[in-house]
Amino acid sequence: MYERYHIETTPAKLRSTEIGKFEIIRSDKCLNCGRCMTHCIYDVHERSTLDPREMSEPVNYLCKNCFSCIQNCPQQALEMIPNKEYENLGNSYWTPHKIYTIWHEAEEGKIPVFGAGYRGRFRGSGFDDIWTDMSEIVRPTRDGIHGREYIATLVDLGRKLPWIADFEKLDFPNFLEIQIPMLLDTNPMGLDSKSIILSTLKAANELGTYAFLDIENYSDELKPYIKSIALRSSLEKIMTIDQIPWREVNLIEISLPDKFSSSEFNRTLKELKKQNQTALISLKLTNPCLSEEIFKHFEEARIDILNFHTDNDGKSFEGNTFISESIRKLHLDFVKKCRRDEITILGKGGIAAAEHIPKLIICGADAVVLDLSLLVAMGCRVCKTCELERCPAEVNLLDPEIAKQRVINMICAWRDQLLEILSAMGIRDVRRLRGEVGRAMFYEEIERESFEFIFNENGPEK
Amino acid sequence: MNHIEIKPCATTYRNEIGKYLVSLDDSCFHCGLCVKICPYGVFERIDGFNYISTPKSANCLGPDCKEGPFSCATKCPVEAIKIETDPQWKTLGDYRWTPDLIITTWQQAESGEIPQGTLEYKIGASAGGFDKFEFVIDNNNPLPSNKTDRISTDISLNRRGEGAQINIPVPWYGAGMSFGSISLPTMLARAAAAKIWKTFTCTGEGGYPDELVAYSDSVITQIATGLFGVSEETIKCTRIIEFKYAQGAKPGLGGHLLGDKNTPSVAKMREAVPWTSLFSPFPFHSVYSVEDHKKHIDWVKTINPEALISVKVSTPSDVDMVAVGSYYAGANIIHLDGGYGGTGAAPEIAKKNIAMPIEYAITKVHKFLLEEGVRDEIVLMASGGIRTAYDIAKAIALGADGAIIGTSELVALGCVRCGNCESGRGCPRGIATTDPELENQISLSWGTQRIINLYASWHKQLKLLLLKLGLKDIKELRGRTDLLRNTDEK
Repeated sequence: MYERYHIETTPAKLRSTEIGKFEIIRSDKCLNCGRCMTHCIYDVHERSTLDPREMSEPVNYLCKNCFSCIQNCPQQALEMIPNKEYENLGNSYWTPHKIYTIWHEAEEGKIPVFGAGYRGRFRGSGFDDIWTDMSEIVRPTRDGIHGREYIATLVDLGRKLPWIADFEKLDFPNFLEIQIPMLLDTNPMGLDSKSIILSTLKAANELGTYAFLDIENYSDELKPYIKSIALRSSLEKIMTIDQIPWREVNLIEISLPDKFSSSEFNRTLKELKKQNQTALISLKLTNPCLSEEIFKHFEEARIDILNFHTDNDGKSFEGNTFISESIRKLHLDFVKKCRRDEITILGKGGIAAAEHIPKLIICGADAVVLDLSLLVAMGCRVCKTCELERCPAEVNLLDPEIAKQRVINMICAWRDQLLEILSAMGIRDVRRLRGEVGRAMFYEEIERESFEFIFNENGPEK
Repeated sequence: MNHIEIKPCATTYRNEIGKYLVSLDDSCFHCGLCVKICPYGVFERIDGFNYISTPKSANCLGPDCKEGPFSCATKCPVEAIKIETDPQWKTLGDYRWTPDLIITTWQQAESGEIPQGTLEYKIGASAGGFDKFEFVIDNNNPLPSNKTDRISTDISLNRRGEGAQINIPVPWYGAGMSFGSISLPTMLARAAAAKIWKTFTCTGEGGYPDELVAYSDSVITQIATGLFGVSEETIKCTRIIEFKYAQGAKPGLGGHLLGDKNTPSVAKMREAVPWTSLFSPFPFHSVYSVEDHKKHIDWVKTINPEALISVKVSTPSDVDMVAVGSYYAGANIIHLDGGYGGTGAAPEIAKKNIAMPIEYAITKVHKFLLEEGVRDEIVLMASGGIRTAYDIAKAIALGADGAIIGTSELVALGCVRCGNCESGRGCPRGIATTDPELENQISLSWGTQRIINLYASWHKQLKLLLLKLGLKDIKELRGRTDLLRNTDEK
């Protein structure tokens, strides 16, 4: 029977994420008159339960910054200041706002909807330099958000046949179908935490997608979820480890050492394919320049997937390009060789908000790999130095069920936001979005086109 | 326009928010010198009291006052007065609506005058678009300000040479905000102010409350995709009809009123079930193409042949073609709504990412209409991120005829842009709410006067700007991109 893909969400609260953006300070001037209580509609101000003659401390994380209590206080006893704890979250890429947004998505599983217009900078760098397009009147997906059940977010992993020539000799390639253009990473910060790995894997299993797992972290405990594992290893380790997981997983990712011989690579892959004929082979890539060598592997060893890794901020490990530029380049390299449909391109790193997914797909990725965002969903604050023993959110001590649910909630919210973007464009299938740069407006181009008249000759500043 | 009465209209809140915090320490012996020195009313001693009241910090000019004759801090005999930047200042506003802009908009709504003092009232801090432009003004030859009387700021809303001729004395009118998204007093205050200024406001898509009929000559009826409150009566009783295809803050997504705000009165107006979420689905099902759009206009013209037609569209990359299509279908006004515009409820992802900011769309459409040779037959109105009088002037210099404003009017009514309009009881400050208790915070006469005052200040600023630019008419400013410069290049 046909079943429509649906992600089940349930609210999953976390005490450690109850951090308000602002802090209300009640000074000694307070007369406990309770006027703040009558003016606040968010229950920030309440009388003390122990002594109802006194006001209790304001509950800051409930405050929505409306200033009503402050402006109505007869004693001017209340003052609002920025909350240091909030301002210290994350870093310049993983801004407090991004972390805060993910926390709320992970808690509710809903699209963030608010009143009032956009409040950020006109533009930023990386993904913030891209606007997606929409279609005003003529569009195939009617009904806006009501038409979203007709929009598919399914993507295929693996190669497609370039053309069908001879049915007799046809060798159908294997491919995998995932219902969301997102794969997960079980070990984003290299924490090797068993509970984080387990909850991520459970989430991947429930969502019908795959989670990358380092072979060193495999244990029999994970066996029930083996069909959701994308096993990851370096080339030299592949054959030295117990062969059981290799035979059963659907997806294997190989990272290449600095020096290796092509024949060794081909021999290993052949051996691997003997053990597991159906698994797709993914190659970890850190350099956005498609070298002839990599291309040869793709041809000879039949690599199915290229997974382009960047750091947590989306910056390449080699070179200093942002993930959107790198993916665009990689995509175009394959388009130029007329081989784009024979490879799946994944992008990993720097995916920190829902809008980054459609934007990266527009730049040419088939799907994205979520990494640090999953930890943030579990309550991570992206501290400057990450130590599991001193984690302020105690991420690894979280109930795996709650952690799993929060990851699922976030991904549901992100998928729904992807649907919003697709429905605005009038696109029915996320696969049609891949590489469609006509569906986006890039800052430099649009700024030049519209504002030539007030430019210097060098074009917009970078 | 001497008939417009501008009178001071103070905030209804007990404490005002200001940039500086003035405090008296324990050494103060209440001599009262500061009360005598300060002309801005920071210090006060109520008759019969020995003590000086808590200083009204919001009136303080801050460090700029220090060198001048009114400096209380330097003259205090016991140095008891401390002036510092209020830490609270950082919690107000954002990049687009800076605390300076919010407070100066409040000041304008209070006094009806161009803000004095040191706060920035012209541009925000978003570092792009309007916030990156300034006018090229030669400050070396100052002009007498009394000459502004001869400067004209009126624009025509019908340039086709047929149909009703409607002029508005200021190059802006109010944007659509529905009953349900905003409270009835707010809606009426906007309409009353529009009536006095002889400009327009728009119903939005939430029906036409009976109380609004008194202002029907100044109210645009909006026809949006949910057709809430659209009937032959409401189409007949208006001079301008606006087709809303999309809204800049949520382009391609349709309208959304969350269940919490759909009170029985709102539901009655919209002919819906109370406390259910109402969607206004995108797009029009009667319009699948530009040809259909013409038939759509014909339908309305049959009911009300006199009405002018405005077409509100958001800003996709092919907005120029949509604009030309609308022109050939018979529209009088093209209303472009940019991505950074206001809303009562929209997904956060849509506000930044879908469709381009208005600054790009204006130049794009203006150029395309010029090339098509139809620019002078159509009125191009811009909205979505127009916050100040200077934004209006910049939009016109980029190629629009005028601008449409929304959020600024709400800020004039006391909005702090906290962004909680969409759910629960709605706006805690009584603007974007239908909660009977909360909406009472705004009275019709107070709200009307606040908006009138804001308009008055903007009108003065525009006239003064035109004078400085050496122009006599706002219409001469249109498309004068040569008068703009990029502030980065200084």
